[in-house]
Amino acid sequence: MAMTVEAAKCTNCGKVSYPMHFYCPACRGTKFEPVPVEGEGKLITWTRVYALPLDYAVLYTTLGIVELDMGVRATGQLDITEPKTGQRVRAHIGKVREINGKDVTGLVFTAV
Amino acid sequence: MSPPVYDWDAGEYLTSEEERMIDELEAMLRPPVLPMAPYPPKAVLLASGETMVVRQASVDEVDTMLKVIQPLSWLDRDFYNIVAARLFAELLGWKTYRVRNEYCLVGVIDGVLAGIVNGRLWDEKHGVSFHTLTLKRGLRVGSHLFASKMEHHIEYLGQDEVWIVAESPIGHRRWMIEYPLDKKFEVQHELGGAPSWVLTRDTYFKAKSRLVTGSRPVSPELLAKSYPLREPDLKVMLTQIEHTLEARV
Amino acid sequence: MRDVAIIGVGSTQFGRAQWSLLKMMCEASHDAIVDAGIGEKKIDAVYVANMGSARNNRMAGLSSALVDRLNLYPHTVSETIENGPASGASAIKHGLHSVASGFCDLVLVCGGERMQEVNNFEATEFVSYLSHRYAEYVYGVTLPSLAGMFTRLYMERYGLKPEHLAMVAIKNHANGAKNRKAHLRIPITMEGILTGPDALNNNPWIAEPLRFFDCCPVSDGASAVLLAPAEMAKQFKKTPVRIAGMGQATDSQAVQDRPDPTELTAVRMAAERAFAMAKLAPKDIHVAELHDAFTILEIAESEECGFFKKGEGHKALERGETKIGGKLPINPSGGLKSRGHPVGNTGVSQIVELVLQLRGEAGDYQVPNQPQHGFAVNFGGFGNNVVATVLKRGV
Repeated sequence: MAMTVEAAKCTNCGKVSYPMHFYCPACRGTKFEPVPVEGEGKLITWTRVYALPLDYAVLYTTLGIVELDMGVRATGQLDITEPKTGQRVRAHIGKVREINGKDVTGLVFTAV
Repeated sequence: MSPPVYDWDAGEYLTSEEERMIDELEAMLRPPVLPMAPYPPKAVLLASGETMVVRQASVDEVDTMLKVIQPLSWLDRDFYNIVAARLFAELLGWKTYRVRNEYCLVGVIDGVLAGIVNGRLWDEKHGVSFHTLTLKRGLRVGSHLFASKMEHHIEYLGQDEVWIVAESPIGHRRWMIEYPLDKKFEVQHELGGAPSWVLTRDTYFKAKSRLVTGSRPVSPELLAKSYPLREPDLKVMLTQIEHTLEARV
Repeated sequence: MRDVAIIGVGSTQFGRAQWSLLKMMCEASHDAIVDAGIGEKKIDAVYVANMGSARNNRMAGLSSALVDRLNLYPHTVSETIENGPASGASAIKHGLHSVASGFCDLVLVCGGERMQEVNNFEATEFVSYLSHRYAEYVYGVTLPSLAGMFTRLYMERYGLKPEHLAMVAIKNHANGAKNRKAHLRIPITMEGILTGPDALNNNPWIAEPLRFFDCCPVSDGASAVLLAPAEMAKQFKKTPVRIAGMGQATDSQAVQDRPDPTELTAVRMAAERAFAMAKLAPKDIHVAELHDAFTILEIAESEECGFFKKGEGHKALERGETKIGGKLPINPSGGLKSRGHPVGNTGVSQIVELVLQLRGEAGDYQVPNQPQHGFAVNFGGFGNNVVATVLKRGV
């Protein structure tokens, strides 16, 4: 089980991108080092999704896009009953899906 | 004093002893019934702006319903064929006293039959959900009627739990997740297929505000318009069933 | 570079198909060929628009299968063009390039999709493959969930209300009820889906704040258009419709990567490019088919294309400007919401509907006053690959 979700830090100019692209958006460099996506941030928008693929046997999941203090935005599941846009959240790693019977981990955000 | 019974096979009138035997056999084949409280009708305002009256159907209306259901037993899509075939048998069994403690609720739009649900009481506290047949698709009629059925078992028939299995895996999954249903695999569902899932009284009341709607009482004029049951146009019914996918959820 | 015109159109019924994918596509192609009246002339190329035939229908190389079934071999060349939900317009774009460049004369563009071969959960799963694999997909992101998050931002920023979303659905259902070929032909009411006592049950949440009637259905269907050089088009029986301009643009795949997630940059650029090529402006358009996979998208796209100011699309909707009799009818055919969304095919069916409008053949849902200029937006992924088209009546 992966314990972190990684962003890409350009070894040339230091810009951190998530998700990673082949070329650094700032300097077009092609070498990156992994940097964990972690810490606190601000919830930009969220939704409760009821129409889910077969992998999910729950009534709904809560998803959101978070602007993290470390400088990247991330999409993740929210472990928050009543999310509010603009609220402060913290990133954790948790199980987010099952693919072919194997657990997949990713970002889960809780309220601060 | 009932008229004498003529036995066609023997070519003679039955003696009173033979009459008594047939009445006894009939009595045995016709099981005793549990008292069942009636379902108070309600009105549901559908997405199209039409109002659907959800009310109990009486045994006299079975013949009309059988006429509508039968053609669907040939429709090999979305499990219409098996649901229609089994519903046909259940309603006919209800009418001929060969299924006991059965009830039937119908959804009626502008006097025209739009959907049928049925089930029966296993005993005082446990119910068995049989079928849900939607004749007018695209308006969540089946969803409303299934919820009404659960409402009937729990709130009006005063039961503790309802045993449920659906023929369609998609339909079953929807209810399984939506209410949600619990497993009760020690109970073989009467339909003869899979073991049962169960909706408990507890779960019902937690889900009620979310899933059970409709307003009561129904005005006498509106209720009167839902009698007698009118059959939908067969061709129109078949075309729109085939064209409309029930749900995106 | 020659001018290119559409000389024939065809479409099957949308909804739950009786026919197989290939048969639907053959029927639509045949209808387009007969509509054009090309007689013995040979078709030089076939471009097929489809997204899921390999996964959903166990068919690969779909365009070759169509060429075979239509007896077009060995002369006719073909490719299958896949651009997610924008496959349709992309395939037409390739047809346009082939004819404009002089490489081909007659080109058939046929879109088709048969989604019913998988259940709804698998259809949702399949369409969710469009999202970013590790930044979105693994979290259970589906297209409706991206649209839901987008809608929430729109509502908070521009004062859009649930009533506005419902108005789009009601308008498009009312239009689709007049379109014989539409998938969902049930008119709906505000009371029934939003304000009435049973609305929550009739119209449950899909991805808050989007509801059941804010999302288009999963449909089967096929459509086809026949392209020819404008010069040649004059000799055929029906009024040709010229492809005056086509534009395309892309955006980041992960929605979070966009500086302002409420901006549909690809829609704006694609529209600008199409208008530039056509030498027309948004105010010149008389009828539009916008990609309303979710009701919010009709409103957002109408703004990004320049028909209304950003954040004011819902006000124009309130004023009735986008109804069939209004200033700019949008989705007179019912849009994706009511006409249906056979994913790979939609771009082609949008053009088919516009051609019918510009020819005056749209029957019960015809836009009045002889529209001359039509406009379509075909929205791929969640706005990361968008194709816009401007059509002009006559050559």
